[in-house]
Amino acid sequence: MKHSILTHLLGPRSAFDGGLYLPDRKAGLARRPIQTFHAEGPLHVPLTVRRDLLTETIVRVGDRVVLGQALSRATNDQSVGVHAPASGVITKIERVWTVEDGFLPGAILAPDGSNERMPQHQGWDDESIIVQLAECGVVCDIPRAPLHVVMREAIAAGVTDLIVNAMETEPYLTADLRTLVEFPGRMIDATCELADALGVSRAILAVPFRHRRVVRRLQSEAAGRYVEIVALSNPYPQCHPVMLLKAVLDREVAPGASILSEDAVVLPLSTVRRASDALLSDLPTTHALMTIAGDAVEHAGTYRVPIGTPMSRLARRVGVAVPAAQAVYGGPLTGSALGYDDAVVTPDSKALLLFAKADAARPVPCVRCGWCIEDCPVGIDPPSLMRLESEMVCTDQKRIALKACIECGLCSHVCPSRLPLSETIIRNRIRFAGPEPSTEGGTRH
Amino acid sequence: MTPDVPWLASESALRGDAPHRRGVSTHRHILRTWIAAASVVGLAGCALFGVDALRVILVSLVFTFGVDLMFVMSLRRASSGRLSRTFLIGILAGLTLPADVDWHVAATCGTVSAVVGNVIFGGWLHPALIGRVFVQFLFWQKLSFAGASIALGPVLTAANLFVGDLDQSVRVEHYEGWLETTVPAPADAFELTPPLWSLRQFAQGQVPVDGNFRFEPLLRDEMPPWIDTLIGAVPGGIGETSTLSIVIVGFFLIYRGYLKWQLPVAVLSAAFVAASILPVESGGDYVWFPVFAAEGGRAVGLAYVLYHLTAGQLMLGAFLLAGDVVSSPMRAHGHVVFGIGIGVLTIFMRLYGVLECECYWAILIMNVFVGTIDRFTSRRVLGTAPSEDAVAA
Repeated sequence: MKHSILTHLLGPRSAFDGGLYLPDRKAGLARRPIQTFHAEGPLHVPLTVRRDLLTETIVRVGDRVVLGQALSRATNDQSVGVHAPASGVITKIERVWTVEDGFLPGAILAPDGSNERMPQHQGWDDESIIVQLAECGVVCDIPRAPLHVVMREAIAAGVTDLIVNAMETEPYLTADLRTLVEFPGRMIDATCELADALGVSRAILAVPFRHRRVVRRLQSEAAGRYVEIVALSNPYPQCHPVMLLKAVLDREVAPGASILSEDAVVLPLSTVRRASDALLSDLPTTHALMTIAGDAVEHAGTYRVPIGTPMSRLARRVGVAVPAAQAVYGGPLTGSALGYDDAVVTPDSKALLLFAKADAARPVPCVRCGWCIEDCPVGIDPPSLMRLESEMVCTDQKRIALKACIECGLCSHVCPSRLPLSETIIRNRIRFAGPEPSTEGGTRH
Repeated sequence: MTPDVPWLASESALRGDAPHRRGVSTHRHILRTWIAAASVVGLAGCALFGVDALRVILVSLVFTFGVDLMFVMSLRRASSGRLSRTFLIGILAGLTLPADVDWHVAATCGTVSAVVGNVIFGGWLHPALIGRVFVQFLFWQKLSFAGASIALGPVLTAANLFVGDLDQSVRVEHYEGWLETTVPAPADAFELTPPLWSLRQFAQGQVPVDGNFRFEPLLRDEMPPWIDTLIGAVPGGIGETSTLSIVIVGFFLIYRGYLKWQLPVAVLSAAFVAASILPVESGGDYVWFPVFAAEGGRAVGLAYVLYHLTAGQLMLGAFLLAGDVVSSPMRAHGHVVFGIGIGVLTIFMRLYGVLECECYWAILIMNVFVGTIDRFTSRRVLGTAPSEDAVAA
């Protein structure tokens, strides 16, 4: 990819209307290498990855398990099993709280600190990549589903392009960036493997242009491979699959439709990282790579955390400078509140942010500044949709707009009147445009 | 690891909706910045017109704010940012008035701004301008040029900035420019023809031609040097004249993102084009494209057009009045249309209209069309055909 001198100085142009360059707050954070937390104290491991995916528990109380041993097994081909994140003894079978799915069946694992692991087979070649992904329990972040299910759907839809999403334009988040810095070759290799399995004609790795050394390193790693490195400008929400598809391939997803309908599949880099462990090292998913940051955290950084670690232990482990007034699971703009004190880490956890001050302000009437309309990445009119709150009927026009919303939260973020715009739109989408459109297209990031 | 230190300040740390972090610019920041910007222009006005200017601004501010405060208190509700805007409206209303008006003119202007503009219309027509055009009709003897054979307004000399008294003014015979003008000891100020009045007279063919020269008599005999209209040392409203200070605070507002640059650019370029094209009556016939006029080897037409931009209320309108958040369109595209409307209407009304305060009228007229403009500049929803959003909800 050749750039002119001007592009080198200023970066590429933004590829969609709207969006905003947020202060990224990654400066010191992204320089610290990934550190691994070893399990201390009991792990509350959820035995399934999503509430509606059924698994069969194959361990009993009192069993000794080793790192990577299966704790549960899929009962159908839509589901995946969960593997032990540490070696130790199962002390209890009881429900655990996860942020995205609420209570899930779980196992309490008391680690013995031996770090004994399952023997690795080197001979999975006779099975397909998809079977290997299913056996290693690899899950995809967006859509939230096991990766082998996502891949099967993509193959059935006949996708022609694979985009690996390493944009990560939300503030604070550094997991993808650190992965690219530390394992560029593995990411390229895994992308090639996944592209092979999908049978796509183009495999694209989208990375932020502003990290130029990372881009150059990836380009040299990808030389001679068929993975294309595409360096993009990174206004928020360039990280969203819909915006990425617009930026990379200039295809627009119809409101509420799936990305697969545009013959492309977008996989987050975190998913590719888990797939690389499964495909290149035959390691099941046992850890989550999380950014732990925020102004209440003493040692912010990117951490490899065993699944089932309670968030409270995570927070104490990195050091809490002041008690957090707000704890966020995920990015600052799209994440969720923890909801419950003893939420645990799941395979797709990406961040825990602790803030010393809650960002709450009293909303005042709209002043018609138009900032939300200018910055909206999909071109909808948030104030008019907010008025739906007090209305009983919804025009087709507004229903399309509700479906087109990608829930990036930018309208609420920029609103000088502090109106709950995106919150209201999400509520009214459920009210007027039916349930979540699909697991694929415009769901939360 | 210290297990006994609480990691959460309270239970509420676990609740809340996305987004969890908000941007830093709240309506308070926007209004404070706007109030500061208007105050800087007011300060420039106080320098040029003395203590009288401060008195007019304060009276207008007190009445606007006081009346709206009474209304808000009678509602028994929190003002939720409304009073900050009223404060800004009060200053802006003062800036549009000349410094030598009586206090009851400023008081009426402020009261009407609050009652009619804010309470009755709810702010969607610029409230300060409603008050201003109201007093223009009510106190026409003082504020209007109508019927006067020669209009005059006082300006402080450069030696008497801030402290001079506008009442102690004398007429000067040979006016060479503000910096060169001195007045005898008891007087602090001199009287001058407002350039806006001269321009209007000229457009109506009232300035006699001098041989082949049509524009030269206006520029030579009637108008002050162009640099004076930049500094603001010409008669007019307190905040209208000082182009330099308006542009500086306007750039600051644009830099902070509280004013869209498209608006002043659209207003001024539209006014430039309109003044360049629209004909003026001179010596019994109409001169089209006055911008191309050249007399005696000088580009007098261009000078004439530049006077149109800086001499009247256009600068204050383009940077501080039209950009009012509530009464302007939502999108930048809309601001372009809105600005073009203001610029063209202003010049048209100045050349051929009978209403004075033409820029204020132009802004009020365009305020009426803001809803229409918003409708036709709505954005296309991603993934839909362009034709679908033609029927904006």
